Amino acid sequence: MHALKIQNIEKTYGKVKVLKGINLEIEPGQFLILVGPSGCGKSTLLNMIAGLEPVSNGNIFIGDRDVTHLDPKDRDIAMVFQSYALYPNMTVCQNIEFGLTIRKTEISEQKAIVAKVSKLLQIEPLLDRKPKQLSGGQRQRVAMGRALARDPSIFLFDEPLSNLDAKLRVEMRSEIKELHKRVKTTIVYVTHDQIEAMTLGDVIAVMKDGEIQQFGPPQEIYDNPCSQFVAGFMGSPSMNFIPCQIDNVNGSMQITLESGGVQQQLPIKQVIHGLQEYAGKTVILGIRPEQITQQGEEKADSAMLNCSVEIIEPTGPDTMITVRINDVKTVCRIHPTAESRVDKLMPLLLDMSKVIFFDAQTQLRIY
Amino acid sequence: MSINRILIYGLLGFVALFYLMPLVVMLITSLKDLDEIRSGTLLSLPQSLNFDAWGKAWGTACTGVSCEGLKNYFWNSVVIVVPAVVISTVIGALNGYVLTKWKFKGSNLFFGMLLIGTMIPFQVVLLPMARMLGLLGLAGTTSGLIMVHIIYGLAFTTLFFRNYYISIPSELVNAARIDGAGFWLIFRRIILPLSIPIVVVSVIWQFTQIWNDFLFGVVYSSGDTQPITVALNNLVNTSTGVKEYNVDMAAAIIAALPTLFVYVVAGKYFVKGLTAGAVKG
Repeated sequence: MHALKIQNIEKTYGKVKVLKGINLEIEPGQFLILVGPSGCGKSTLLNMIAGLEPVSNGNIFIGDRDVTHLDPKDRDIAMVFQSYALYPNMTVCQNIEFGLTIRKTEISEQKAIVAKVSKLLQIEPLLDRKPKQLSGGQRQRVAMGRALARDPSIFLFDEPLSNLDAKLRVEMRSEIKELHKRVKTTIVYVTHDQIEAMTLGDVIAVMKDGEIQQFGPPQEIYDNPCSQFVAGFMGSPSMNFIPCQIDNVNGSMQITLESGGVQQQLPIKQVIHGLQEYAGKTVILGIRPEQITQQGEEKADSAMLNCSVEIIEPTGPDTMITVRINDVKTVCRIHPTAESRVDKLMPLLLDMSKVIFFDAQTQLRIY
Repeated sequence: MSINRILIYGLLGFVALFYLMPLVVMLITSLKDLDEIRSGTLLSLPQSLNFDAWGKAWGTACTGVSCEGLKNYFWNSVVIVVPAVVISTVIGALNGYVLTKWKFKGSNLFFGMLLIGTMIPFQVVLLPMARMLGLLGLAGTTSGLIMVHIIYGLAFTTLFFRNYYISIPSELVNAARIDGAGFWLIFRRIILPLSIPIVVVSVIWQFTQIWNDFLFGVVYSSGDTQPITVALNNLVNTSTGVKEYNVDMAAAIIAALPTLFVYVVAGKYFVKGLTAGAVKG
């Protein structure tokens, strides 16, 4: 049983292909995130699910119904927009009721729904206000209330937090997550913010240039990105990409890293069969900042490298330091108590059990 | 008050006086009798308030052969202006709504062509329009003249509403569509309530244009159905011996009063409409 199924969806504007055959399927109650840089087609895809944009090719199913060519109002969906799109001439209460009035819901039932929704979102004191008298966060809540009132089978969120300031964004993020936990309705959520994607999603579809690059649970996407693009897009600070020479030395693979003027051979103990054929060539080493740490956290597969520190950025819980490995700026996440000084050499541990490799040409993961 | 302020206010006062002078001359002349006009100068004040000229202009002055003043023509103009303004504003609003929120293939081209409509001089359409009115059987009728004004005004009203609606976020329309509202309901419940400033702009513009129109009025109407501007022209040009400047002036002010009235009543909204800016959700 699926809540939403998208089959080979394409969208063309004139000669430009914006979506190039999207396929995905989610189960009822799942929280799907469409994430990608601007222009990747994620909002277009959402608008097509909503029925606001015609589909050029392919099919969309909500539940068992083929809704590909249905009107938005017949799709049993509700949507929260980036600008909230509250009706400026109506009060909060009228905003929430609007959809119910159109659907000719009984007045008494309307009142009950408004009461329930406004209690859930804690907007009861605001019911008689006009949208322009509300703050950003309150507007956001009202917009969600309007969507909730309809009790649809799918909620669509179009970058709902991007107009809020940083602090409020974090608050609303956890409120949305909590809301989903309570109402358990399927949600499709578009964002360009990878932290929102990681924190909110049950499944994430990472998109680029009108294609889904990778589809899976957040942790899976974070740990096992399928391409350099996905690896670089998810995570902040983003993954370090270090070009390095790889060699086969007596049957074991070794990479050469240079830092602080010293070249060093590091053995790869992970079993990555694909690496064999790259022997003697250059590959891209992918290593996340938290996989490069200070001494004292040795793991079974740690390798040590003396690096010259260029920049130190304390964030509080961690300190980011920038070093240069193979002439590439590399960010490491170290403990704030660890001693580091600019222009001094610092011994760092690379967790070689988690590193991944990419083909230097295709930028695809080497398995 | 600094010297700069004094200079600025002085200059503004002078310019305002300069600009208002013709109106002042008209007003004081309309309140004089013919003897005063002959003996005094243009700017000399009337000895007493004398509204005889106004009464004559309204009720008994001759416009050609008939001598019934402007009153019938005043109502002619009202009967022409009201429906023409209302209909052209409503259609303009609908056009603007479609051209911004329900775009169709070629809608930009359509809008471009409408824009050209705002630049066509009145004189160019006189003959073709006369032929069309003849074919429709509307030649010389009030409905015919109303139709001409509506058609001619549409390019302007559409332009006003289109440019206003383009700043209303389309997400509002999308939200309403998802809420289940259709074309008309969205227009009535969402778009129209946001349109008051631009409706006022459109009404003022159209009212002024149509009320003050002379050319279409003189060409497409005849006899008893002529608008006040044509009657005013006839009144001024009809003389039986003495030129009655006071009556001419009173008649001209009567003909101009309604547009003045519209500006005073709606001017507040007019400024609001021009400064309101974007409608934020």
